[in-house]
Amino acid sequence: MEYRIHQLTFTYQEQPVLVDLELTLNSGTLYLFSGRSGSGKSTLLKILAGLLPRYGGNLHGEITGAVPGSAALMFQDPSLQFALDTPRHEIEFALENLATPPDKIPQRVADALNFCQATHLADRRLVTLSGGEQQLVALAIIVAMDSQLILLDEPFASLDHNHRAQLLARLVELKNQGKTIIIADHDLQGYRQYKPTVIAFEKGHCHVLTDQEANRRFDQADELAKPLLAHLPDENGAPLFSFDAFELTTNGATLLTIDKLKLFKDRITLLTGESGSGKTTLFKALTKLHPYVGSVTHQGQEVRTIKAAPYARQVGLVFQRASNQYLNVTVNEELELSQKQGQNPFFTPVRVQMALEKLGLAKMGERVVYSLSGGQQKKLQLLVMLMMGQATLLLDEPFAGLDNQSIDVVWQLIEQSRAVCPQTLIIISHQSAGLASHIDYRLHLADHHLTYQGEQRHES
Amino acid sequence: MNPSLQLLLVLWISFEVSFTSRLTANLVFLILAIIVLLFHHLRFRQWLWLICGPFLPALALFVTIVAYSPGHDLHFGLVLVSRIYLYVMAGATVTFTTTPLKLAQSLEQTAHLPAKFAYGTLSAVNLLPKIKQEVTQIKAAALMRGVTLHLWSPTLYFKAILVAINWSDQLAQAIESHGFVEGHPRTAAHPITVHWYDWVLLTSGIIILQVLLIAFP
Repeated sequence: MEYRIHQLTFTYQEQPVLVDLELTLNSGTLYLFSGRSGSGKSTLLKILAGLLPRYGGNLHGEITGAVPGSAALMFQDPSLQFALDTPRHEIEFALENLATPPDKIPQRVADALNFCQATHLADRRLVTLSGGEQQLVALAIIVAMDSQLILLDEPFASLDHNHRAQLLARLVELKNQGKTIIIADHDLQGYRQYKPTVIAFEKGHCHVLTDQEANRRFDQADELAKPLLAHLPDENGAPLFSFDAFELTTNGATLLTIDKLKLFKDRITLLTGESGSGKTTLFKALTKLHPYVGSVTHQGQEVRTIKAAPYARQVGLVFQRASNQYLNVTVNEELELSQKQGQNPFFTPVRVQMALEKLGLAKMGERVVYSLSGGQQKKLQLLVMLMMGQATLLLDEPFAGLDNQSIDVVWQLIEQSRAVCPQTLIIISHQSAGLASHIDYRLHLADHHLTYQGEQRHES
Repeated sequence: MNPSLQLLLVLWISFEVSFTSRLTANLVFLILAIIVLLFHHLRFRQWLWLICGPFLPALALFVTIVAYSPGHDLHFGLVLVSRIYLYVMAGATVTFTTTPLKLAQSLEQTAHLPAKFAYGTLSAVNLLPKIKQEVTQIKAAALMRGVTLHLWSPTLYFKAILVAINWSDQLAQAIESHGFVEGHPRTAAHPITVHWYDWVLLTSGIIILQVLLIAFP
């Protein structure tokens, strides 16, 4: 089976997304679409999956070889990919749609879950699964459907290193079975050993990289992923957050216990840990969105009892899903709201304009926020929350789906803004790429416990 | 009992008692519904809801009819009270004895409704917990932007509708990406069978209802 893309052009809201693409995709091959956010990677995946242009946009050109229904796509945000209540029901639904004989369904469900090491999730409710667990389930569905063309859009954005390596190994096994696998990922770390064919996307164009070019990109990715050096905190100052016999539970199971721990003011703390270990839930507890047992205080006041409205001016949460942050329709309306309500003196209208240009969001003022690409939504979200200028910002996977260049721009912004308006940042991130020089402390969540990582600081 | 036939029977009973005023029929089916519920071991709180929920409206109707209507008709007052409880208990037998998924599967397989309708409704039902989470999150997101949203704030609904529209599109894409094609033949992982006793229960239920309505007060 071979897929041939010929003179393919795709426009969305009169903006060209893909221009005159020429590409041949062979079976039994692993392809890697590499490129900045908004370069058209996701769009091509959705076209191959047959979702576009039926759900918007205009397409010219032709694709040969693709049989309708032969391609399965894993969405950038897996929580939007489920229609039923549990993983088992969702897989059964997919198999019913393919008219699988009923007596074969239970075995195929079991095999697919087993293949993705998600058997223990089979009968949990999908809404209670973490982002990483949902991605496991989304992959299990694709495996069960036995599609010839498997498309994955930033599949590892919220998976930790172990799950990622496991899943990649599985995908290679599927490739060896003769399937065509395409992964769109801006982060090339960990792919080299699987010898993918790398296709570079830039501003709607694409070309196949030679081995040398690909290796250079892998080198860059490895360079950025070196282990983080961090120091243990040795501060005696007043803590910002102080935990005491703190406990978080979901669905009756203990997620996390913290005996005694302090988070420090005006520092940048990185929070790492396996997917599903409770990092997002901890952020929710700190912002009054999830109940907790025991005590956590914010500047001496119990979080549970603080009034929500004034507290929200003190502690802001940058949601994992960018669209959750938006209250308005267009980019300009979002910016105006933050300009009006924001307390960060750094962001004057002129500086906001400069930031927009650097982030590649200039001239998008009239765009509907939900129509932006995943990466663009993320960048706008970060900007509007930085403009609000809460003394503390909790950032949940702020760099997911962002390419290195965008991450650099975001860090520049954060640093410029912090020089004027000091902020405490607590960041959840699976990608440690390029973070080492920015963070003060690193907290790791494992085995339901939260501990500072790093070396004792030595007096010099 | 087969969920579709059960739903049909409950709707049939509710429809007929709406246009008749026979106390015996109401009470007999009310007791039958309670017996069915007793077999399903509801929690105490669920019973409490079933009994207390309709209490005020039922009491209001009863007092209005018995104390203030021209005939002070005790019989008609009791008919209305039992009718309200019959609606609630009979409805509860459907919701407590079957899951939305089973009902959808049965509507597709037994009642031969289009699969699109059955699964479209089902996925909307499965969205309910997400909608609840979303509303809390919208309020929190607004607070962090310096905006307080109340239950009567248009922005809350605007945003919720926006999210819903976005979801409906995503949901359609999700269902399709899992191989659903309208009108294509599907199989059933859990075949919903119609047993002989399902038909017996349905027909005998309807016959008993007619007898009670005609022969008893």
